[in-house]
Amino acid sequence: MSEVKSFRKPYHPEVKATWWKENPFYIRYMIREGTAVLALFATLEIALGIFLFAMCDLDSGNQNADSVAPYLWWVQSFLGNPVVIALNVLTLVAQLFHMVTWFNLMPKAVRVFMNKNSTELLPDYVTKIGLYAAAIGGFVVVLGAALLTK
Amino acid sequence: MRPILPTRSDEPIFWLMFGTGGMVAAWVLPAVMVVFILAGICSPDVTTGLLSFAQAKAILGNWFLALVLFGIVFILSFYSLHRMYHSTHDFNIHSKIFWYVCYGGAAALSFIVLGLQLVIYCKLF
Repeated sequence: MSEVKSFRKPYHPEVKATWWKENPFYIRYMIREGTAVLALFATLEIALGIFLFAMCDLDSGNQNADSVAPYLWWVQSFLGNPVVIALNVLTLVAQLFHMVTWFNLMPKAVRVFMNKNSTELLPDYVTKIGLYAAAIGGFVVVLGAALLTK
Repeated sequence: MRPILPTRSDEPIFWLMFGTGGMVAAWVLPAVMVVFILAGICSPDVTTGLLSFAQAKAILGNWFLALVLFGIVFILSFYSLHRMYHSTHDFNIHSKIFWYVCYGGAAALSFIVLGLQLVIYCKLF
């Protein structure tokens, strides 16, 4: 620290916790940030399912409804609960919103040049077509694996 | 006088997991939610129905699918809690405590799920 007395009087504007409520753009920003909470909810659902699966009696060869009761509670009573189904639908909508906004910002965050010798950028729609194609691919793979395997 | 030492930021690591998690959340999570909703509606049994016990056993007993499932849980927990930690600043909460709560919680969740999956995998064999 210097010995010279500082005469600086920096101006710190007061920021309220409700600063985002005044502008629709900032409200959308906060809704977008809120999708992370629902992503955590989905993660906890998966973790709960794995935990209750581990609680089942796995040592005996043939399982019946009694020995796998914890897992059946998760898949029947928990996932079948109307509140959880409603939250899952909300999470699905939130993740689709996240997907669209995430793909919209991708061309801004990662700049892809046409070739090594020019500064011309690849058009946004090329990147987006690739991202949406991968999203459809992921959707088909996960749903196909879930529905077609026994 | 305190020497000024250059310190390395840990932010790139979390940023990398945030970016990967954002991609996973966009590509995989909608389909997972559809599976969960359908499983909730069709109410599966021990052997029949979507996400029945037999199907969960087939997923968790396969080392590749189990690793993929762990990867999804690991990356999504770090991704969502990273974003929630940075959202605390938006609500005028500037506390280092939330750094430990969020990243510690994500690490704990990942380790617990990995341990449970190892136990399940060993028991099924």
